[in-house]
Amino acid sequence: MNIFWLIMMLASMLVLLIVNPSAMLSEMIGASTEALELCIELCAVYVVWLGFIELIDASGLSNKLAKLLRPLIKKIFKVDNEETEKLIALNISANMLGVGNAATPMGIRAMQALDDKSEKANFAMIMLVVINATSIQLLPTTVIGLRASAGSANPADIILPTLIVTVTTTIMGILLVHGIEKLRKKIKGRKKQ
Amino acid sequence: MSAYILPILFILLFIYCIYKRLNTYDNFVKGAKGAIKLVVDIFPFIASIMIAVALLRVSGITSWLTQILSPIFNALGVPSELTELVLLRPFTGSGSYALLEDVLVTYGADSYISRCACVIMGCSETIFYVATVYFSQTKVKKLLYAIPVALICSIVGTILACLLCRIM
Repeated sequence: MNIFWLIMMLASMLVLLIVNPSAMLSEMIGASTEALELCIELCAVYVVWLGFIELIDASGLSNKLAKLLRPLIKKIFKVDNEETEKLIALNISANMLGVGNAATPMGIRAMQALDDKSEKANFAMIMLVVINATSIQLLPTTVIGLRASAGSANPADIILPTLIVTVTTTIMGILLVHGIEKLRKKIKGRKKQ
Repeated sequence: MSAYILPILFILLFIYCIYKRLNTYDNFVKGAKGAIKLVVDIFPFIASIMIAVALLRVSGITSWLTQILSPIFNALGVPSELTELVLLRPFTGSGSYALLEDVLVTYGADSYISRCACVIMGCSETIFYVATVYFSQTKVKKLLYAIPVALICSIVGTILACLLCRIM
């Protein structure tokens, strides 16, 4: 992340220095104001979702959900910790329902639970990022809503192609991460010999 | 139809809580308490990435990249009108949704380009934003291959989305 940010910032600042130096600072402050507005909005959204999630958790539903998804999560993430499994199960379920805003707090907590304080992302953490990135969602509610308000005759006809793509890329992501991890272990094994 | 799913789930949750004799108000408040702390913790990370994206756009680098990448995208079957959307999608959710609305208005909601844009948006995520925010509360400094793999899946998804929209 450090290197991505550095390249993005330095390249744009160098170009701006030539094209429009006076815009640099005001753009940065403008963007951070936007971020603050987004965070205020997110705070309101999180109050609702974290409230509901606490209910799901306290009523024991999250444990049931985790138990249901457990074999799958164990196989994909190779974790063996009930609390972590529960957080991952909630994160994935929220993504499937198309409520990314409810998935974020659970994703953050799952990452904290997976953290081994080693400064390097471990296998399960990478898997969680990749699965979130391929956005395994059953109903793209926001997109359908936008399409309906733009006057589409059949706003829901994108559901099937979206589903096919997200399932394909999710499976591909899982296989890729597993493959890379195997390769890394092999290389490590060779180095030791 | 899809408008009913979440409301029904919420009501079922409350009924289940009553059945479990759970104090709904106390527990809801307990969970909601975490919201402000969470937002305060992730704000600097969100702001930093939004600053970088804003500078990329105002410096003209994004439109320059859009021009360079358009022919490549076209060759892969992705309409060149969608290059900017595909380019910005990994960085900004609000920005790419604004672009999607533009596309829907400009080309009509049922055009091939709009349908491609919708499927692309539905099956992708703001990868850099997710990675920053998810890792923000851990000690992790090196993400290893997380972002490259996520980006590869996203590109394959984009190409597949445009292909499927042509035949479906």
